[in-house]
Amino acid sequence: MLVSQRHASCFIPVTVILTVMLTLMGCSPENTHYQQPNGIIYCSEGNPASFNPQLDTSGTTVDVSSHQIYDRLLDFDLITGEIIPGLASSWITSTDGLTYTFQLRKNIVFHSTSYFAPTRTFDADDVIFSFNRWRDKNHPYHEVSGGRYPYINSVGLGDLISDIKRINRYRVEITLVRPESSFLANLATDFSIILSAEYADQLAKADTPELIDTHPIGTGPFKFNSFRQDRYVRFDAHPLYWRERSTTEQLIFDITPSSSLRLAKLMTGECDSMAFPTHSQLDIIRKRKELTLDEKPGLNVGFWAFNTAKAPFGNPEVRRALAMAIDKNALMEAIYFGSAIPATSIIPPSSWAFQPDTRSSTYNPLGAAKLLRENGVEEGFSMTIWAMPVERAYNPNAMKMAELMQRYLRDVGIDANIVSYEWSTFRARLNQGLHDSVLIGWSADNGDPDNFFRPLLTCSAIDSGTNRARWCSKEYDKLIDQALTYTNQEDRAYFYSKAIEMINDEMPLMPIAHAFRYQAYRDDLTGIEINPYGGIQFRNVSKP
Amino acid sequence: MPRLNLYQEEYYPSPIQNTWKEFKENHAALLSLYCVIFFIFLMIFGPFLAPYDPLQQNIDLLLVPPAWDNNGDISYLFGTDGLGRDMLSRIIYGCRMTFGISLVLVIISMLVGVALGAMAGMSKGLRSSVVNHLLDSIMAIPTLLIAIIIIAIVGTGLVNSMWAISLALIPQFIHQTRDIVRQKMKKEYVLAAQLDGAGKIHIFFNSILPNMAEMLVVQVTLALSVAILDISALGFLNLGAQAPSPELGALLSEGLTTAYVAPWNIALPGAAIFFMMMSINLVGDGLRSALRYRLLR
Amino acid sequence: MLKIILRHASLLILTLFVLSFFSFSLAYLFPGDPLVNLTGIRGSSEQEYALLAEQYAMHSSFIVQYWQYVMHLFSGNWGLSFSSGLPLAEEISRSLAASVELSAYALIFSFLIGLPLGFLSGLRHHKFTDFTLLTASVIGYSIPVFWAALIAILIFSIQLGWFPLSGRISLLYDVPFETGFILIDILLSDLPDKEFAFQDALRHLVLPSVSIAIVTCTIVLRITRRSIVEVMSSEYIQAAYARGLSPRQVFLRHGVKNALIPILPLLVMQFTTLLTNAMIVETIFSWPGIGNGLIQAIYQRDFPAIRAGMLAVSALVLTFTITIDMVIQIFDPAGRRPENATS
Repeated sequence: MLVSQRHASCFIPVTVILTVMLTLMGCSPENTHYQQPNGIIYCSEGNPASFNPQLDTSGTTVDVSSHQIYDRLLDFDLITGEIIPGLASSWITSTDGLTYTFQLRKNIVFHSTSYFAPTRTFDADDVIFSFNRWRDKNHPYHEVSGGRYPYINSVGLGDLISDIKRINRYRVEITLVRPESSFLANLATDFSIILSAEYADQLAKADTPELIDTHPIGTGPFKFNSFRQDRYVRFDAHPLYWRERSTTEQLIFDITPSSSLRLAKLMTGECDSMAFPTHSQLDIIRKRKELTLDEKPGLNVGFWAFNTAKAPFGNPEVRRALAMAIDKNALMEAIYFGSAIPATSIIPPSSWAFQPDTRSSTYNPLGAAKLLRENGVEEGFSMTIWAMPVERAYNPNAMKMAELMQRYLRDVGIDANIVSYEWSTFRARLNQGLHDSVLIGWSADNGDPDNFFRPLLTCSAIDSGTNRARWCSKEYDKLIDQALTYTNQEDRAYFYSKAIEMINDEMPLMPIAHAFRYQAYRDDLTGIEINPYGGIQFRNVSKP
Repeated sequence: MPRLNLYQEEYYPSPIQNTWKEFKENHAALLSLYCVIFFIFLMIFGPFLAPYDPLQQNIDLLLVPPAWDNNGDISYLFGTDGLGRDMLSRIIYGCRMTFGISLVLVIISMLVGVALGAMAGMSKGLRSSVVNHLLDSIMAIPTLLIAIIIIAIVGTGLVNSMWAISLALIPQFIHQTRDIVRQKMKKEYVLAAQLDGAGKIHIFFNSILPNMAEMLVVQVTLALSVAILDISALGFLNLGAQAPSPELGALLSEGLTTAYVAPWNIALPGAAIFFMMMSINLVGDGLRSALRYRLLR
Repeated sequence: MLKIILRHASLLILTLFVLSFFSFSLAYLFPGDPLVNLTGIRGSSEQEYALLAEQYAMHSSFIVQYWQYVMHLFSGNWGLSFSSGLPLAEEISRSLAASVELSAYALIFSFLIGLPLGFLSGLRHHKFTDFTLLTASVIGYSIPVFWAALIAILIFSIQLGWFPLSGRISLLYDVPFETGFILIDILLSDLPDKEFAFQDALRHLVLPSVSIAIVTCTIVLRITRRSIVEVMSSEYIQAAYARGLSPRQVFLRHGVKNALIPILPLLVMQFTTLLTNAMIVETIFSWPGIGNGLIQAIYQRDFPAIRAGMLAVSALVLTFTITIDMVIQIFDPAGRRPENATS
């Protein structure tokens, strides 16, 4: 037709080349001359509910705040589990076990940010304020941000302490109502943080006391910069931190609820470390040469709790029957991919209170069906299984587990519906007791077995929200309290073994597994350690 | 009056036959037509062809690679997903759902859209002018956006997404029909029919519709490809079909969680959507060029 | 010309009112207390509730309430989000800017690739180049945009590690918000390492905009091709050849202009398709745009955010479309469509 070969043929290649050049300008081969600013990005799994871990027990809140923003009087050594000095440089216990005197360190500086500048260093006033806030119901700050201190209440710390006295500027004396061998361990948990009394006063004067938990001030290695919901939390380094720390200038929590996206970001280097690799991802991480996977046996338990306050789950036979309907070994493979051991009780084998010959439920669908019919649960009975939308060390995929359990329950004639909400909504509704049963679990905050038995199943733990089975038994409470009056491990173990027997008889919850804990990070990161007792610590983490 | 049939081989093809002849010469389009027929076949006979139940989970066989991989198994041709469900069966059922639902939606929107468009085209006056302007404005908004907005209001779920996409497709049909009807209304044969005393409905069904049929078919293929894309996009965003439904977009979204261990979980459903859309687009393209050439000659 | 402007302006205002009315009535159609849905403030005390009810005229008739709502919209109060508790007006303007930036770059990219290829294909009409380009365009047009994005991530991000896959810029750069367009914001800010930040933002832009641009590229290609084929076979081109102009001169002087101008509106309209595709792709790349925001709001049933996002997006698209239509009709008399319905 009219066209011929020489039509402006150089015009087109020129444009194409221009475009390609523009695109390539954006890509640089493997960061040779490309300098990233100094900082660490951690891919976290969800939004923190607050920046004060005392107000919440969720691992997400603890990971963000506890070891980054704050310090405690005492700490756990990550390798040996022993209690080491924190803000308290030394302490003396009286012979009757009732009085503890703490010597505080000098010259510890609080954070200085755009909203607060400290005029004095850390001293006893801060300790007293931090303790009295949750201890004294009439304290002006007690009701701020809700007035609920779940962990502290579940271990009864408020009732345990009878008095706190200021001896001098750097010495504090705490008196208990009765001797309790787990007291020091409780002071080293993620929840016993020290806040700034001066900041609290400043906020009280400005009539904005709740900012103490949303715009926090502490003595920790990182100070709070900003938080955008569902996006990130930014921290800057605290240049005057009292302990030795790495040279990292920025720490960012990149909030990424999807675990496959976290892994992808870890692989491309957009995150330096990630939270909660799912078990199907562990092999990939091990295979990639630029990634490292650390693993440690965990002090945790994943379980299926029945709401014993709702019929027919108040009947222990019904609960036992439901436990018999599930094949735990199948769950091990499908959910944990072999990175966990089946649980026979709520105490993991790595704890000294573990009883190796406990009898737990076995898989028996016919027996389960029979037991259910005998107790008035007919075919077609419908119940809900609440499944967490997030991953936790003790249960990497509660939704998938619930789907598998649906099948087992259908075999015994039970129609199970899976219910789930966004994580903080989920926990809020669980606290109201709307569930029939829930797939959840517990990670220990310290090495003491009391940290398993008390928060999960004692009567007082119902109010604090950690007793998801809403089970209340006076005999059980007595056993647990008695165990604390002895300091000898064998004596205590005796009481705990009785408690384990009681749990397996009554089955308020069905223990499922104890999982390994993992930490996945890029090779160039140094100083990162798994903390078996609580939240992640970035103090010593650095990148070259 | 009977035509004098002097030569046995003399043959005057009707317009539709002409179009088909043009279409046949376009090999790519013909091939795609066979693909489309294959998909329709899959849609009807899928349940008999699928080797396994798409919802059946198999704990022992999680994330098996497809048969052509070293670790694959021929009895699971496309491998399995994270819960042990056979991918081939899921994809067959998924094609069935995606294609079938889109077909149903397009037919519904076509019926409603053509009816409304015919009414709009045959009416006159200010009322229709305002409606026309509003319609034109709505048409400028992409169908997926309209569907997302409708879902935002009524909530997520497969049925809601079906309503949303149907509603979003209707304006296209109305606009096209109205334009054509308006055009045809000016023709003399319509005038002749009117003079004969035919009522509006009679005119529409007897005079206008047969002449519209081919344009309508092209419109349908266009709408079908848009519907498939929208349904799978909504399924992918978890606003439409929800897990464990085997709809192709939902399959893609589920496959995301295991994407790095098992890339076939996203490659295969996506490829299925791609082939579906490509064959329908090629058929539509072929039809359009065939029509254009027929009209030119 | 004044008539055109007036007509379009009135159409725009009418449509915007319809949209805002729709958004307002949604507060009643969504489950829950309408005042809570309107303001986004939950758990307020009795006094605060009464104060809000006053501000929103909840005790008057429906029309008055609607009018109050529109007044609030104009004054910048779009309510608070249920999930973040932050004012929606700011959130939406940020996300909208992010989505528009992404779509704009994708549009530029698809023009840069689609136009030349469309010219090439049209000029080599029915030859081999044309057929290959057409086939490529059908393939590109049929690829579902979310699949293309996923495959691009698998290959270019994970396998090859050339480009990052989430966000607009590495979180280590804290770019203060000025215009919402990150490339401009970086240049305007006083960050110490601006060139690195700029490079980083560019790297983050590539994969999302290319995945979106693939589909639009093919559409641009086809439209341009058809237009050039039509133009090159017209009589004035033949006359130009007859006058002795070389093929290159014909193409550059007459072909390009006359092919481009009639299709320019069509091309610019692709922006709306781009915006929709961008909204899907944003969820894959964690791009903080309006699509991601709207879809998250739907998951979390954040009614104020859904209403506000919906209003913002539809208003943007409709304003854009009507304005472009008006501009075409002013500048190109041949593009004017027949007035009204009757004939």
